[in-house]
Amino acid sequence: MTCARPEDGTRIWHTTEGVHIDVRGLEPPEPMVEILRMIDHGAVESVLIAHFDREPIFLYPELVDRGWNHEIVPSSCGEPDCADEVKLRIVRWGA
Amino acid sequence: MTLAATFLAGAKSRLLPASIPFRFFATAAVFHVLMWLVLLAWTNEATSFRGGPGPTLAVVHILVLGVLTTTAIGASAQLLPVATRHALAAVWPIKLVFWLTVPGIAALIVGMYAANPEIIIPAAIVTVVGLLLYAGLLADNLRRAGNLAVVAAYGWAALVALVLLVGLGLLLALDYEIGVLPNHAAAALAHMILGGFGFMGLLVLGFSHVLVPMFALAAAPPNRPSFIAFALATAGVAIGSIGALADSMPTLTAAALIGLGAAVLHLWLMSRVLKSGMRKRLGQSFLLIRTAWILLPATLLIGLAALYGLAGSNGPTLFGFLLIAGWLLTFLLGILQRILPFLASMHANRTAGAAPPLLSELAASAPLKLHAVCHGIALAVLSLAIAVDSTWLTRAGSAVGLVGAVAFAWFTASVTRRALHW
Repeated sequence: MTCARPEDGTRIWHTTEGVHIDVRGLEPPEPMVEILRMIDHGAVESVLIAHFDREPIFLYPELVDRGWNHEIVPSSCGEPDCADEVKLRIVRWGA
Repeated sequence: MTLAATFLAGAKSRLLPASIPFRFFATAAVFHVLMWLVLLAWTNEATSFRGGPGPTLAVVHILVLGVLTTTAIGASAQLLPVATRHALAAVWPIKLVFWLTVPGIAALIVGMYAANPEIIIPAAIVTVVGLLLYAGLLADNLRRAGNLAVVAAYGWAALVALVLLVGLGLLLALDYEIGVLPNHAAAALAHMILGGFGFMGLLVLGFSHVLVPMFALAAAPPNRPSFIAFALATAGVAIGSIGALADSMPTLTAAALIGLGAAVLHLWLMSRVLKSGMRKRLGQSFLLIRTAWILLPATLLIGLAALYGLAGSNGPTLFGFLLIAGWLLTFLLGILQRILPFLASMHANRTAGAAPPLLSELAASAPLKLHAVCHGIALAVLSLAIAVDSTWLTRAGSAVGLVGAVAFAWFTASVTRRALHW
């Protein structure tokens, strides 16, 4: 799975796997808030791939309550700054 | 591999085993019940308490050590490694903290109740060793706190207060036997300020910068005013502690006013968080949290009034009661009832490998409603009891508080059972 963030620095981009959002560098709990804002506002149809610099454990129950599942997937962008990232694939149940 | 199963592998790295945080939370729930029970059944002079060994000192330490400190240890041991991205190097030190502090606290309470220095001193030493070990673990995590600058600043200040607090506590214990302090009452007041406003208070203010935005689904407060509030709060604690040790009324007055400034700024930051949050219906936990927020400046105002003899003959007792049972206990119980289902859900995720439970399934609302009502009534009745110096009202308020504490223990047991056996 690719995770290359656009060179213009935008935090949200699209690939064939789904919508990506990079929330690395944000202070907790802003990464969680950004993800939930996208989901609650209908900005994601079925698959969101989120790039974190720490595991968002408090996000998981919120996702479950909204009917979304999640899995940690290996990071494979090849960039040095991806080495420590936590990549989460978030999928709407039934999608 | 299922989505949930894949998650299990990743989550193990930074989540402690469920038994670690939940043993501290369960202990706090038991001590919470015990506190109201002792106050109800065996305490006669609580309304005019000014210090000294006996049942009321035991009740105070059941609350501050048994309930507040164990909750703080459990929460910080679980949350900080997640926030800082560094798991604890090993699990055994935090287990050792539990096995030193909890028996130490229990023995200390027995010694205080019986006014027996031969029990108090060794129990205080064991408790201090446990708390210093916890301080070491906290320091190890705080130094990696990275972009959690405000939380880390509060954490470091709380840690310094903890070290001073336990040192002074040990001297107070030794003073019963070998007379090492020139002014026991002044040292006891400094001990209370360092414990209530210092260690516990600064941790509460610091963790609020992550937990309240997380619950409200809002951005964290801006750094600049947060650091101003931090500077005011730590200055208030430092000046207050010095003022207490020096028995200086002007210094204590300055500390209370600076603390009020910190409180007002903190509450303004928190109100901004709630206003900007995506979640507007925050549930009954925020009833407790909002009550605690009102009680924070109220405590400081009562303290200021008591300093000048304007809060009645039991003003100092009311100040201490509002500080530990009002602001701190109310806030922690509000936070705990939000955190426990979260943690249970995450641990249930890990152990099940199947569909994870909903938060609403884990947070039984009936015991929490009963607890919130009883806690509010108990605070009001006991405040009145202290103001009018009524033992009868103290017992009535304690009975109501006991019912609430049993309800909260029921909730804690229910969530803990699900976290460990889902």
